[in-house]
Amino acid sequence: MSSSNTLLERRYAALGLMLIAPTVLVFCAVIIYPLVSAIYLSFFNIFTPTLEGEWVGLSNYTELLQTGQFWSALGNTLIWTVGTLSLQIIFGIAMALVLHQNIWFRSLARSLILFPYFISTVVAVLVWKWLFNDLYGIMNHLLISAGIIDFPMDFLGTMPNAMVSVILVGAWKYFPFVVIAVLARLQSIPDALYEAAKIDGAGPIARFFDVTLPQLREVLVVIILLRAIWDFKEFDLIFLLTGGGPINDTQTLPLLVYQEAFALNDMGRASAYAVVMMAIMLVFMIVYIRRTRSEEGS
Amino acid sequence: MTKRSILANSISRRTALQGLTATTALAAMPIRARAQSNATIRWWSPQASPAQVAAYEFQIAQFQALHPEITVVFETTSDEGYAPQLAAAFSSGEVPDIVTHLPSFAVQSYYANGLIEPFNDVIEAIGADDYFPGANDVFQAADGNYCGTGIGNSAANMMWLRKDLMEQAGIESAPTTWDEMRTAVTAMQTGGLYGAPLPYGANSMTSLIFIGFIHQAGGQVFSPDLEVAIDNEGTRNALEFYREMREFCPPGATNYSWGESLTAFVSGATATGIYTGRVLANVRDQNPSIADHITCVTYPRMSEDIAPWTFNDFPSVFIPAQSQQKDAAKLFAAFLFDPEGYIQQLHAAPGHVLPVLQSINNSPLYQDNDIIQKYAPEVELMAASAAGGYNLGYESADHASNEKAGEIIGSNVISELVQRVVLNGDNVDEALGAASATIEGIMQG
Repeated sequence: MSSSNTLLERRYAALGLMLIAPTVLVFCAVIIYPLVSAIYLSFFNIFTPTLEGEWVGLSNYTELLQTGQFWSALGNTLIWTVGTLSLQIIFGIAMALVLHQNIWFRSLARSLILFPYFISTVVAVLVWKWLFNDLYGIMNHLLISAGIIDFPMDFLGTMPNAMVSVILVGAWKYFPFVVIAVLARLQSIPDALYEAAKIDGAGPIARFFDVTLPQLREVLVVIILLRAIWDFKEFDLIFLLTGGGPINDTQTLPLLVYQEAFALNDMGRASAYAVVMMAIMLVFMIVYIRRTRSEEGS
Repeated sequence: MTKRSILANSISRRTALQGLTATTALAAMPIRARAQSNATIRWWSPQASPAQVAAYEFQIAQFQALHPEITVVFETTSDEGYAPQLAAAFSSGEVPDIVTHLPSFAVQSYYANGLIEPFNDVIEAIGADDYFPGANDVFQAADGNYCGTGIGNSAANMMWLRKDLMEQAGIESAPTTWDEMRTAVTAMQTGGLYGAPLPYGANSMTSLIFIGFIHQAGGQVFSPDLEVAIDNEGTRNALEFYREMREFCPPGATNYSWGESLTAFVSGATATGIYTGRVLANVRDQNPSIADHITCVTYPRMSEDIAPWTFNDFPSVFIPAQSQQKDAAKLFAAFLFDPEGYIQQLHAAPGHVLPVLQSINNSPLYQDNDIIQKYAPEVELMAASAAGGYNLGYESADHASNEKAGEIIGSNVISELVQRVVLNGDNVDEALGAASATIEGIMQG
């Protein structure tokens, strides 16, 4: 009886391995292999179209750290990430509070607010480029009509306009994610807390800072960490809006990786940039994992 | 009986696992192994306006009628995006079987790295004697082979003018020098109308157009033996003039590429334009009210002592060496020059892509086009200018072929030079020094 159970257990164990094998294989194919491959390639000087090259050791890394382009791109990435993330959080919380109220067409409004998040980035950028257009764009038309400016403004071709425009479009595109998450949390805050605050004489602003915000703290930490990771590696929106210009003033690290890999055909250097990017993002990820583990523990 | 119990009774765990294994194996099977009975050719081109795609589809249908065993699939790339797309294709091995309309310098670069099939036999099949004299020189590689051929010519930096606006401004003749151009755009720029749509963006158009300005000032990017020579008096003068022209360009020109520049002139927002003959069809279709008032000339240069310099990217045809369907692709490449389809392709953008075959240029069928007839002097001028045209891979007849031209354009080093000097007001010596060093690095890398 005992030996039969053992056999059955072994069979189940084997079955379990077989069932999990496809997942492990896929994980290795799409995560482990590219990761190891990128680290490996970063030690070579490789011509992208042929993937042929020579071993250069750590020289890609030493050159990378010595060039101003890397530090400039890192600075731009941080400005973009902090700028767009801050606006996403502010707009997201504000809109979630509005949608939490008992307003007319609340369900419709909750659906429509998700529109920017679900729309393709290419489509969104094309629309915004038309809005920003110097000759036919509605933004310039409105500003001139209102007497705010006399001549069309160059939104995407000069600094600081280009960075401000990119940050604003990024905030518009991604703030619905914050709305969804915050709204879900708002709906689970007990009414008793607000009633108690009211009895204590707290007004709407005091209730927000003393009740709502503390209740949102946990979810906001997770949102900020997740969105910081996603914004840090954002490529398509910035590439399509400005291409990294003017000069290299909106060139972030992902754009630099792309330029090295496919414009300059230097896959080794591009991999080195990507590995450094990954190391920076690893910090965010470790904080995120620790945070979620501590939440699960509590 | 529930669905669950049916499944539970009819499919054993062993059967499910066997099915899973079989499906996984099928999915992992190379596509080519399953499709080897059919020859499918993938055709890439960045030239894909609706009329051009319709012409390509006509050519594909004609070809497939003659060769039912071959299927041709057209896929669009883009002027700004072909380099990364092809780099990814080459490195993955999933290459198109035939590529058209890429600039000659890109083709030379790919050939130098062993990525392209020699094209001699296709040129022979098309008829080497039928080409305009020297039309294939730009495609001759260092080993004596041809790495591709021209599918057309283009005069990409023609100056487009509005005769009505010139008349209103009292400009009697088209400008031939920078001084005359400055005078003309100053007179024509009025409220809401700008003088020129010159590109100042961080992109290939700015680089390619500014290289023309360097030559129009008597300068060069490389010496004939390909030493970096961009730091010269001509470049300094070109930068100075380009900076002066900024006030005559729309504010958004700092982000302009080909599409925006073309639209600015066609829509009537600028008094002059800088583009190929695509202007003609776009004006006819999008702004016919100015169709009777437009003309073109070669772009002005610093002085009349300097010869005009026309940027011709020599739109090409080539076949990647990794293609699994080389024979079919060569057959199709030669068929692209079959008169009926080729003329339809040229008529899809009349004046934009100009014929490289003499028999086609002289064909009544080619000449029988409303735009080519209406703008005969302009088309003739563009054809002559393009025939004597150059690009960074072929800066002059004396220059060696530059295999690094594609990477230099892709790096945006020249557009960055323009932006630093014009938009940032950086010191010209420093900006030129940095550009020279970057180009030197690319040449050595």
